[in-house]
Amino acid sequence: MRRFTAALFLLGLGVMIAAIYQHMDFSNTAVNAGQAINAVAAEETGAANFVTSVVLAYRGIDTLLELTILFTAAMIGGMVLGRRRVDAPRDPDAGFILRTGADLLFPLLLVVGLYIILHGHLTPGGGFQGGVILASAFFLPLLARPGSSINQDVISIVEGLAGATFIIIGLLAMFDGKEFLTPLLDKGELGALISAGTLPILYLAVGIKVGSELAGLLAHLAEAEALD
Amino acid sequence: MDILDINIILYSAAFGLMLIGIGGIVISNHLIRIIFGIALLEAGANLLLLLSTYHEGASAPIIVDGSVPAMMADPVPQALVLTAIVIGVGILALALSLAIRVQRAYGTLDMREVRLKLEQEISENAGIEMPSSSHAPAVTTANSAAAQQESGS
Amino acid sequence: MNLLVLMIALPLLTAFLLSSINRISTLAARWIGPLVLLATAVIGLSVWPQLGAAPLALQWGGFQAPLGITLYADQFALLFALAMTIGTLLLWPRSAENQLRSSSLALLLAGTGSGLALSGDLFNIYVFYELMTVVSYGLIAGRGTSGSFASTLRYLVISGFGAALALAGIALVYQATGTLNLAQLAQLAPEKLNNLQGFAAFVLMLIGFGVKAELFPVNMWVPEVYATASSRVSALLAGVVSKLALLIIMRLLILVFHQPEALTVLLVLGILGVASGELAAWRARDLNRMLAFSSIGQLGVMFIALSIPGNAGIFAALAVMVHHLFLKPSMFLLAERWGGSIEKLAGAARTSPIAAALFVLLALSLIGVPPLPGFWAKLLVIMPMLALDQPLYYLAVFVMLAAASLEANYLFRVVMKLYDKQPAATSHKVHATADLATALFLGGGLIAAVFMLVPLADRLDSIAAQATDVSTYIQTVAPQQLQSGRVQ
Repeated sequence: MRRFTAALFLLGLGVMIAAIYQHMDFSNTAVNAGQAINAVAAEETGAANFVTSVVLAYRGIDTLLELTILFTAAMIGGMVLGRRRVDAPRDPDAGFILRTGADLLFPLLLVVGLYIILHGHLTPGGGFQGGVILASAFFLPLLARPGSSINQDVISIVEGLAGATFIIIGLLAMFDGKEFLTPLLDKGELGALISAGTLPILYLAVGIKVGSELAGLLAHLAEAEALD
Repeated sequence: MDILDINIILYSAAFGLMLIGIGGIVISNHLIRIIFGIALLEAGANLLLLLSTYHEGASAPIIVDGSVPAMMADPVPQALVLTAIVIGVGILALALSLAIRVQRAYGTLDMREVRLKLEQEISENAGIEMPSSSHAPAVTTANSAAAQQESGS
Repeated sequence: MNLLVLMIALPLLTAFLLSSINRISTLAARWIGPLVLLATAVIGLSVWPQLGAAPLALQWGGFQAPLGITLYADQFALLFALAMTIGTLLLWPRSAENQLRSSSLALLLAGTGSGLALSGDLFNIYVFYELMTVVSYGLIAGRGTSGSFASTLRYLVISGFGAALALAGIALVYQATGTLNLAQLAQLAPEKLNNLQGFAAFVLMLIGFGVKAELFPVNMWVPEVYATASSRVSALLAGVVSKLALLIIMRLLILVFHQPEALTVLLVLGILGVASGELAAWRARDLNRMLAFSSIGQLGVMFIALSIPGNAGIFAALAVMVHHLFLKPSMFLLAERWGGSIEKLAGAARTSPIAAALFVLLALSLIGVPPLPGFWAKLLVIMPMLALDQPLYYLAVFVMLAAASLEANYLFRVVMKLYDKQPAATSHKVHATADLATALFLGGGLIAAVFMLVPLADRLDSIAAQATDVSTYIQTVAPQQLQSGRVQ
């Protein structure tokens, strides 16, 4: 009976979507904030990658909030899963290939992650993508050796400081008489590594924060005791 | 309406993903499946957002070597989807952590059983006996074992 | 430059730094949270008078609307931003363990709540809303019992479902208009969103944001969560957070969605909410769940009020919201020590006479006995509905009156127990002084409202008028005309 009503509900939804289809105007881009941003972003922010301009400058507050969501989720994840019992059984170490691979990949992943973060204003990529790679660098050793662990206290302080950096850079703009989160510093030459003012610094903060938060969350999940 | 229009195909993919996700949420009883249903639904919504100003043949909104492409894609939906994906990841991780704790406490991930046990716990704490639950499904141990087996397969 | 952004930025900053501060001094970590909230409340109050004359629009990052994100402050928004900040301050979590985490969460809740009320950008609203949702998961699960984990998970499932739908609604809006700025949407809506796509977007967003506003089909989480979370958290969620979600729906309704069908959807869902909520409350046998179900009913009344076209509806909804804002947290605080079966409350009035008297006052106002504020709030909803002279609105009036008699029935059952001659076998717990003082403070607000009814109504009327003034909204934000970025 329940499945029947569910199927009926889905059918109704499908009909609704079909009706929306009929009336949708796919070529409708007469007014468009994105194209307007494309026209002025290079001049206003100095970043060659306009997606970065949107993420860090035009919609910087969204990014700050998104970091806060990750921060909160990681904090709650830690709270929910709790500390591990000391005598809880652990998985055995992984095989030779994974262990050696993890050791070899660790520096490589760090470099790639930092590269992607620092070039976020020039090429596709940035703090989120690079941060995820950083997180995987720290998580891989955990997969190889389940006995080892990440120091959660250090992580919570790092992520707090990285988030605070983002806000403090935003507040500095207010001391300058501008609005909160206004990009500062010289915009430099379009396309150069050191350009776009504070945006690369913000992306570095984002990268470190995303990296530490995801690493913390994954470590919490890995630490969770196996179900009996 | 041309059925082979690229827009039709892409939008069908987005709405299709959403429908599959919603289907997973309303039909399934297993919490892990429901959580993945939410993930699929989110993926569909993200795709829909990305498609909102999609235009065939537009180049990425990045200036390479000072040359401005003739037609650049809208950067706003890309930034929005980036935000939405990260939010989704955070919530997914949180949901799985909670699922681990619920499984540990109640020994089941069947949505109906979790609800029943939750109801029991609340009533017990309040000091009232369970209301005669004619609407709740009768759960026996055999039943729940079958449910777990079904979900495991 | 305006200090208003500090209402959002400062709590977030403090929450990030709290664990570092705790390393240096645990005493500082304990006190900095409330102090920061006090400071942000003062900032908000200092801006309040100047908003009466003209609302204020700020651009995050200084980018011109609609390219950047707008922060729009009128008295309507600031009222709820302040309610969030002050409410969190009054209901500051006081659990001994997890003090650090719950302080961080409370700060985040205050900051995001203020931001949600003040935001003027559709996607920004979504992000604030999601953050607020995640924070509330933490507050509910913070109790650490298996019940609180299970109810959080069930809440998360419903909430995640709703949030994804809201995101799809936002995508539909952006597809049709190419902007997310509410002021610009208000300009474009009559032309672009007055169609099936616009209506679908509204329904999707209504379901999404309705989860927190305890809207009828997506409110299954309410009784479980309020029964398993701590009373202070329930008070915050039912009292303040639900109103913020409602505020978003009001903004969307005023600025963007003008279809008559939208109002009908709200009316029908509101009626169903009142009927189902009050009936379930009548059947409930413990105080926490009774209050939870009755809050679904109260929120249903607000949805009914919203469905009244024109300023009268917004005014009525605002009155009911403000009334509920004072009443529900106070009731949940009283339920702190009176949780559990109502049978066990027999004779509790003898051990705590003040709390019992306060409960009677709150119950009378909730039912709507004149001259208490609850009566006037309900009157404001019912009068314009009768004037509309339509069958569905008559049905709504009938349901509301029937609901009031149900409310009277179940609340007096509690009151009779409280003043029962034969005390229950178990001894009654006395309320913590801080809880009782907060509850009395809020209850005192209700009594004060009785004596200031006329100026209060005038004030609310002017706030509602300001909120419904679409042209002022557009002029204040002044989104530049987007150059035609038409893609060939």
